Amino acid sequence: MKANGLLSASQSALMAVVGRLMGIIDVPLRYLQRKTGQTGMAAFFLAPNMAIFTVFVLVPFVINFVYSLTGGSAIFLSERSFVGAEQYSEIFACGNYLDPNSCKQDVFWIAAGNTAAFVVLQVSLMIVAALITALILNREIIGRGFWRAVFFFPVLLSPVVTGLIWRWIFQRQGVLNGVMQGLGLEPHDWLTERNSAFFASIGVSIWAHVGFYTLILLAGLQAIPKDLYEAAQMDGTSRQRVFWRITLPLLMPNLIVVLVLALIKAVQIFDEAFVLTHGGPGTSTMYLVQYIYETGFASELRNPGLAAAASILMGAVLVVLTLVQMAASRRNEKKGAR
Amino acid sequence: MGRITLEKVTKSFGAIDVLHGIDLDIGEGEFVVFVGPSGCGKSTLLRQIAGLDKPTSGEIRIDGTLVNDVPASDRGLAMVFQSYALYPHMSVRQNLAFGLENARMPKAEIDARIAEAARMLEIGDYLERRPGQLSGGQRQRVAIGRAIVRNPTAFLLDEPLSNLDAELRISMRAELAALHARLKTTMIYVTHDQIEAMTLADRIVVLRKGRVEQVGSPLELYNRPANRFVAGFIGAPSMNFLSGRIEGVSGAGTQLRLFDGELVTVPRVAEANQVGQDVSVGLRPQHMRVARDGENGVPVTIDMVEALGSETVVHAHASTGELVLAVLQGQHNLSRGDSLKFAYDPADLHLFDKNGARVSGT
Ligand SMILES: Nc1ncnc2c1ncn2[C@@H]1O[C@H](COP(=O)(O)OP(=O)(O)OP(=O)(O)O)[C@@H](O)[C@H]1O
Ligand SMILES: [Mg+2]
Repeated sequence: MKANGLLSASQSALMAVVGRLMGIIDVPLRYLQRKTGQTGMAAFFLAPNMAIFTVFVLVPFVINFVYSLTGGSAIFLSERSFVGAEQYSEIFACGNYLDPNSCKQDVFWIAAGNTAAFVVLQVSLMIVAALITALILNREIIGRGFWRAVFFFPVLLSPVVTGLIWRWIFQRQGVLNGVMQGLGLEPHDWLTERNSAFFASIGVSIWAHVGFYTLILLAGLQAIPKDLYEAAQMDGTSRQRVFWRITLPLLMPNLIVVLVLALIKAVQIFDEAFVLTHGGPGTSTMYLVQYIYETGFASELRNPGLAAAASILMGAVLVVLTLVQMAASRRNEKKGAR
Repeated sequence: MGRITLEKVTKSFGAIDVLHGIDLDIGEGEFVVFVGPSGCGKSTLLRQIAGLDKPTSGEIRIDGTLVNDVPASDRGLAMVFQSYALYPHMSVRQNLAFGLENARMPKAEIDARIAEAARMLEIGDYLERRPGQLSGGQRQRVAIGRAIVRNPTAFLLDEPLSNLDAELRISMRAELAALHARLKTTMIYVTHDQIEAMTLADRIVVLRKGRVEQVGSPLELYNRPANRFVAGFIGAPSMNFLSGRIEGVSGAGTQLRLFDGELVTVPRVAEANQVGQDVSVGLRPQHMRVARDGENGVPVTIDMVEALGSETVVHAHASTGELVLAVLQGQHNLSRGDSLKFAYDPADLHLFDKNGARVSGT
């Protein structure tokens, strides 16, 4: 490739093609702009996106909300009866608010509790894991590119594949027990014992997603100027202090992004955990989305209205989390005015 | 305190040799400037001294102590980076205090040192601001302040002024000179700006491709450059080079035949074995004037005239095609295409042999 100014030959050929195409749409766009003026043009460009958003997000959201105000097991809205806030009071009907088992919809509250525990553990462990991985991958280690690929690879897998791989490892006659027996250890029923199943679902989802967050943190680490570290070296800063006083504060914007994305993703935990444990044993790995899915579609006595109400409540939690994040990142931006 | 000695220091990055055996003796309290073209190894050399990098071979001593294996923070040096490298998330005060806190200095002493540095550098008004809220010149002062509070045995400055605009650079240059006069601490200053080097240095070290070309005071380098490279590098605009040949030597000096056939006597005696040698004759633009009628000089044709008022810069070429630049005092009525002679004092000629070294004896 022969360099031609700033662009290579193939790039400039591409630019020529793009230029030709732009020339073709230039005429109608100019006409449109004359017709509609500046603001009209903006609406024109936003319209496709808004249409997609409306059809796939806004309308379903509204329909879902309407469903949450209806009762019965019928699928079509026209066959359903309006019940007002009954589905919501059904969810909140508890003898004792401190005991999920006293609630009419005890499974909802168990799933909510499981989800909360999952979110706290999975997000905190995963961020620590992502941070450590990023710090190591940011060093001049041998085969750095290879290791980066290794950690990112699980992100590319479908959640179902992830679930199946780990099921194959964790099941009674699985790889892990085989290895343990080979080492002379007692095998364990990983997926049918309450605690190990819960922690297996946490571990698998960390494994599946940590590469993505590592990548974000790695980008943040690489954006920290190297001479800050040299200045710290001249200043006689210990390695711990460099981490706590320089690396961590300068990584904070990326950490906040990672925290929020991981939180939202964790609240929505479903597919890989469902494939791995089906929510079992009992309800010990039943998470909210699985509850919504089973209530709405999979159980014999399906109740779409109750499922819709549950999903609205979960959505409200996500909105609150997002608002907290926006406030945090705004504060961080103000503080870090560079 | 603050004597720095380098002995046969080399540095290679893999197969790339960047420094080729640097010997240097920097005295206590001296202001030494490393100067040279981009990529010649100035920063690399400074980093070896700072301890941010380890020499491939050779010895670095500070006040007689071998420091090759001493970590950067224990060498008692402070560095000012070209990018300033201020901690962006800390206030100016925290930036200044950071290194002192690392050394577990008592709070009262830290405050006293910051107050002193703030007074000296006039940064007291924005101690609570962050670097992002400062102008370039203010950041520069803070970067110097961060070095000063550490009370180092020597300051290392890597192109500290290169991110400032021209005007600020000149005033900061003067402040740095004043600061050195006051602190009397050894300073090693890297720049590729030879005017900065000339104005600040007690001694200049001219580097080229990882080798020391010449070490000397600014005027030594200006008046007796050791080779063609130093001659061309020190002084602005650059020295002119014309071709000539040494015809003979006598008690009166060296007889030189210039490209145009003219014979001049340089009042310095070359060694006898130089006779017959082709040489490059250096003449500074400031050492030329328009020849009067009948006077000898370099015959040229004018290409361009820049009238600056106090002086006139004349771009011209000789019959050999060699470019000749003259800086004439005052205003002259010259224009493109004019043919004339530039007169000069033969004592101002510098002779360099075909390897670029100064002809021995001259
Ligand atoms: N880490 C490194 N690995 C490989 N080569 C390097 C490294 N650091 C510097 N070099 C090379 O060493 C040479 C000298 O670099 P150095 O930064 O010392 O130049 P310099 O004189 O400071 O130039 P400038 O005036 O542009 O700052 C350059 O050719 C550079 O490419
Ligand atoms: Mg440099």
